[in-house]
Amino acid sequence: MKKNLFIHLLPILFFAEVCYSYVEIDTKAPDFTLSNSFGEEISLSEFSGKKIIIEWTNHGCPFVAKHYKTGNMQSTQKFSEEINAVWLSIISSAPGTQGYVTPLEANELTLTRSASPSHVLLDSDGTVGKMYEAKTTPHMYIIDEEGILKYQGAIDDAGGRGFMFKDLLKAKNYIKNGLLELNKGDEITSPITKPYGCSVKYAS
Amino acid sequence: MFVYAVILSSQGIHADSQFQASNSKISLVTESLTLTENDELLVGIKFELEEGWHTYWENPGDAGEGASVNWSLSNGFEASEILWPGPHRIPVEPLMTFGYNDEVILLTKISSLKNASFPLNIKANVGWYTCKDICIPQEGEVSLVINKGDILLTEESEEIDEYLSTVPVDFEQLYRIERLDDKFFLQTDIGEGDHYQDVYFFPKAYGLTAYSDDQNYEKNLNSFILEINASKAQLKFDAFEGVIEASNNEETSYFNISYPLEVEKVENNQSIILLLLFAFIGGLILNIMPCVFPILSIKILRFMDHSENSSTKTYKFGLYYSFGVILSFLVIALVLLLLKSSGESIGWGFQLQYPIVISVLFYLFIALGFMFMSNLVFGGQLGQLSSVARVNNESLESFLTGILAVVVASPCTAPFMGSAIGFALLQPGINSIFIFLSLGIGFALPYFILSVKPSLLAFLPKPGAWMETFKQFMAFPMWGSALWLLWVLSGQVDSDTVVVVLIGGLFISLALWLLEKNTSEIKWVKWLVRLVALAFVIFSVLIIPTSYSEKDTQSQEELVYSEVLLEQYRNSQDIIFLNFTADWCITCKVNERVALKTRAVKDIIKQKNIKYLEADWTRKDGDIAQKLEEFGRTGVPLYLLYPSRGEPIILPEILTEDTLVRYLTEIN
Repeated sequence: MKKNLFIHLLPILFFAEVCYSYVEIDTKAPDFTLSNSFGEEISLSEFSGKKIIIEWTNHGCPFVAKHYKTGNMQSTQKFSEEINAVWLSIISSAPGTQGYVTPLEANELTLTRSASPSHVLLDSDGTVGKMYEAKTTPHMYIIDEEGILKYQGAIDDAGGRGFMFKDLLKAKNYIKNGLLELNKGDEITSPITKPYGCSVKYAS
Repeated sequence: MFVYAVILSSQGIHADSQFQASNSKISLVTESLTLTENDELLVGIKFELEEGWHTYWENPGDAGEGASVNWSLSNGFEASEILWPGPHRIPVEPLMTFGYNDEVILLTKISSLKNASFPLNIKANVGWYTCKDICIPQEGEVSLVINKGDILLTEESEEIDEYLSTVPVDFEQLYRIERLDDKFFLQTDIGEGDHYQDVYFFPKAYGLTAYSDDQNYEKNLNSFILEINASKAQLKFDAFEGVIEASNNEETSYFNISYPLEVEKVENNQSIILLLLFAFIGGLILNIMPCVFPILSIKILRFMDHSENSSTKTYKFGLYYSFGVILSFLVIALVLLLLKSSGESIGWGFQLQYPIVISVLFYLFIALGFMFMSNLVFGGQLGQLSSVARVNNESLESFLTGILAVVVASPCTAPFMGSAIGFALLQPGINSIFIFLSLGIGFALPYFILSVKPSLLAFLPKPGAWMETFKQFMAFPMWGSALWLLWVLSGQVDSDTVVVVLIGGLFISLALWLLEKNTSEIKWVKWLVRLVALAFVIFSVLIIPTSYSEKDTQSQEELVYSEVLLEQYRNSQDIIFLNFTADWCITCKVNERVALKTRAVKDIIKQKNIKYLEADWTRKDGDIAQKLEEFGRTGVPLYLLYPSRGEPIILPEILTEDTLVRYLTEIN
């Protein structure tokens, strides 16, 4: 607890205005506030003390679609639920582009796909996506209880050519493995992997 | 890669060489419809995309995925991996992808073995993505029958050849990759060959270079350099691998690049053992500091009394005391590590490579020396805590005494702790814990020995003035360390900057002296003096150099070129190295970092008394231009090595430490 306090206080004391231009493994994940699909303002910092999984998503993207169709994404969400972690699905598609949804549509998607994210966050101007340098859908991040970024990259090792022919349930799931490793008190074996999927549809 | 050679069970399959998908069409193309045994045939999957759509290269860049092909071939035939034609940049702001617009043929070589059974049925199951602003996955099957016979080129063969010519080949020219800070430099000697108008590098794998950053291409007379930003993902690679696209007029060529990358050197453990030894000795010395020794003497005597009245052995007290001391030091180490890691997380680097770190440490050691030499004491009130550790449980009291010995003694151990902290900060985390552990053991050991063998107490010197003398003497090792730091600094910045840091040291000392002499009874005078001292400290910190000096070598062997100076050295038959450079010349800067300013080269220049002249063409000086022209140059870099007699040698544009040392060694 003491350590916790120190790490939080120090940057505040000395560098009140630390400007994070990008995210780096083993450093503090930048805080943000976004509206969720129920119109509530949600901040990353309010989940301090819990592990957080962030998923960049776009339901129209065939890569994302395959992960939901096969139940792979839902099972990963269930897994994180069981260990009491927070799951944030962020949509950074700009209005008029693929994957952009209204709050109502977002809730419908969650329902029809039997997904169980803690929150679906709407980032249609891409601010948070760019802050985290989210490149693809899906693009995954794990943040630990102290707000430190522990993983960024793909959801599993099924990426690469021939993705559409692969059995996702047989793939090595980086999120499940990473959470298991963190729970054991270990460091994540490969904290950075190549994210794969469609490009995030930022406003141009 | 999927290579399948399966016998087709049914011979009556309808061969369909085309497949129409929603916005793209694929077809299986071949250079010949006939083939014999022991031969090779080029076939390919041709993608025809609707306007504005693209598909991907083997490394798709930030998003997307390259196509994959599963081949089914008759018995006795093998398919190679896909031969990917050179890719194009397809930016999707703010991302960058690599692929093909409109049309491409992904080629594959099919070899027929001795026992090949004709006819050859080729079936290809293809999965691919076509993308515009959105991506659509496609899957299709195409097939062909190849009969036995001599190769007879089809109409398609021309098109196949066209794509074959863009499949990257090994780069024949000499090249090297240098990594400097967060950039890669691809330097290539193209000799008398043609120059390219533009060059671009496509990495093979994720995490090597930054996809969406621009790359900087610079042409020289017979070499070029490409500056490529490294990826922020910082994955470890054994080799720098990828494809370069080199364009010349309307022709674009693709070459494979593969260059081994140096694995980071492992820190040597020699210095840490020495540091641990110093820490241990430091811990021993702590015992005889004026504010520690008297307390310890009293405590020891007290425990002796106690043990006479009770059955408890004195060594037990020693053990508890040692625990207390070592624990305290470990806590200090942990706090330090915590501070360090939070510092690093906000971008502070604790390495001797940074002039700012060295300068701060220099101030620290100057101040520590001053504190040893003077009567200046910070936190003197802590000394009054010594009575706190009197409790009835003797074991607990010993333990608390151990802790208090560290806390209470802090006013006069501060200089020691300061230097330990200074060195520990430069070490990796686990090492700093060991340093403090060593310090703690050193501190606790004499007391522990005495508690085991109290008779040794008789040999202990009495506290007295000698202790103050000893304390003052300790200032000199501190100043010695400061001197060493200054020497390290002098290798990074010019002499003017070193003097600036020395002035900073002067003001730090002045501030400390003011604080020591500040005994005024009047409150506002006291605070005014403190304020002035603070101002001095702030001033010293503000003048710390934050970066390496641009004119790094001005203070050393380097001289500014002028025709007169050159003539003068020529007349006195000196060996001269003439470096034509400019600030905007990337090649020059890379050569300077990797060859010209290395220790080995500097040493040999000094040793052979070679005159090192620098002609700085940053502002395109007329005299320098004229000199360049004499050697048929219109730009930099140009390196001339004048022997003591005779014509100068023109050195290669791409310098390495080895070649330069060889030239400099051989010249006379």
